[in-house]
Amino acid sequence: MTDWTRVADEGDVTEGEPFPTEIDGVEIALYRMEGDILAMGDICTHEHVRLSTGWFEDGRIECPLHQSCFEVRTGKCVPGGPAWQDVPVYAVKIKDGEIYVKASS
Amino acid sequence: MTTAAIETPPAKCWPEDGITRVPAWIYSDPDIYAREMQTFHYGKTWNFVGLDCEVPEPGSFKRSWVGERPVIMVRDHDGTINVVENRCAHRGSLICWETRGKARDLSCPYHHWSYDLKGNLMGLPFLRGAQGKGGMPRGFDKSQHGLTRLRVAVRGGTVWATYSEDTLSFEEYTGPEILERLDRLVSRRPLRLVGYSRQMVKSNWKLYWENSRDPYHATLMHPFLSTFGILRTDGDYHSVPLEGGKHEYTYSQFDPELRNRTSEASQQIKSISNDLKIQDTEVVTSVIDEFNDGMMGAFQLFPTVLVQQYFNCLVVRHMIPKGPGAHELAWTYFGYADDDEKMRELRLKQSNLVGPAGFVSLEDSEVLSLMQPVVESRPDSQQVLEMGGHGTGAQSTMMTETLIRAFYEFYRREMKL
Repeated sequence: MTDWTRVADEGDVTEGEPFPTEIDGVEIALYRMEGDILAMGDICTHEHVRLSTGWFEDGRIECPLHQSCFEVRTGKCVPGGPAWQDVPVYAVKIKDGEIYVKASS
Repeated sequence: MTTAAIETPPAKCWPEDGITRVPAWIYSDPDIYAREMQTFHYGKTWNFVGLDCEVPEPGSFKRSWVGERPVIMVRDHDGTINVVENRCAHRGSLICWETRGKARDLSCPYHHWSYDLKGNLMGLPFLRGAQGKGGMPRGFDKSQHGLTRLRVAVRGGTVWATYSEDTLSFEEYTGPEILERLDRLVSRRPLRLVGYSRQMVKSNWKLYWENSRDPYHATLMHPFLSTFGILRTDGDYHSVPLEGGKHEYTYSQFDPELRNRTSEASQQIKSISNDLKIQDTEVVTSVIDEFNDGMMGAFQLFPTVLVQQYFNCLVVRHMIPKGPGAHELAWTYFGYADDDEKMRELRLKQSNLVGPAGFVSLEDSEVLSLMQPVVESRPDSQQVLEMGGHGTGAQSTMMTETLIRAFYEFYRREMKL
């Protein structure tokens, strides 16, 4: 997983709405924020659940299970919830209207 | 006594003869039992929860009980020990099912409500619903729905909890004599867990509480004690009620020559069975005077434990009430972190003395389980407590019921009976 993988078209990812996908079995989610497309691991570090089914607000995704929050730009875990470890973030590039993610972090 | 007197339901008032009589209805009456739980275990008392060595690292937890209520003793990330009710604030289900273990947080298996190690509610599934539907009202305040947290006192290697804000400090609660005896066993060196035994005893908890305050039965019902020279009626023995009867201690000076001595009293002790043999005599002969005082004894710290030292076997008997007619006995055997190999083996060997099948304790739970249905069948009857007179002072003899009388003096005062 060292190469760039095409995961979506640019138009698939809309503001305020997480876009869940995967690369070789690794769940990730794409976010459109402040003009950027961001890619972040999509499994909560507390319990195994997809973060993208949670609540996306103010640059943070809130886990649907126990409200652990993560900064989607950095993957940083926000203190206050039951999770204490960060989730990985991945490099993103856009070429000819297609989104590529480099999954090796 | 007339037939009518037997058939009349017993009035819930104490017999006129005071503390030399105990009315049998206190061992089975559900209202009395409920009042005991409120007055004692859930009231202004310190309840034993466990040993600090049972939760060695942050996240280590152990299940325990305060009265009938399940609790969790857990070491927090900062090293302090918390005690919280093992009851989800949502719907009351049991959160922790394992006896001991290690966890990052406390999560309920029913609806996965998740609490931190202090019992604060951190999160709950679908707080905001699913697909835009359902979920908690916007105003739901997680900070108002944490686990019930008990006040905690740590003394040496022991951990205690209370429900009441008004309970005295632990040191004031125990008083200086009990504190000194507790410190002798648990505060001088870091503790080491040796092991556990647990058993259900089908008797009211007070029957066991009295049993631990009853040296009169010891040499009579436990042939092992006198046969192998652990305790004899002609040995040095002290029964000391404390804090108005709330606590007590008993002790004797260990006498290695006791078993070889013949005296008038020893001739009369039928329970000395010369035909009993022990395969491994180290259980009773190999004693290291580790406290340099030659003392052996036990003390009760009301309302949950008897802490006992038999030679080099150190054990906490934790009495956990399970309704008017039953209680659990949880035996926790301990030693010290710096015990050498020889001492470790000796403690393990001598732990055979006590516990559900202990050489000097197995008769207790049997006789009390057979006694419970008898006292239940005659709630109007009375027990007689006149050994050693009618008072409640300390006595230097085993032939006394002063400790039981002292307990009921305390009990009546607290229960307003």
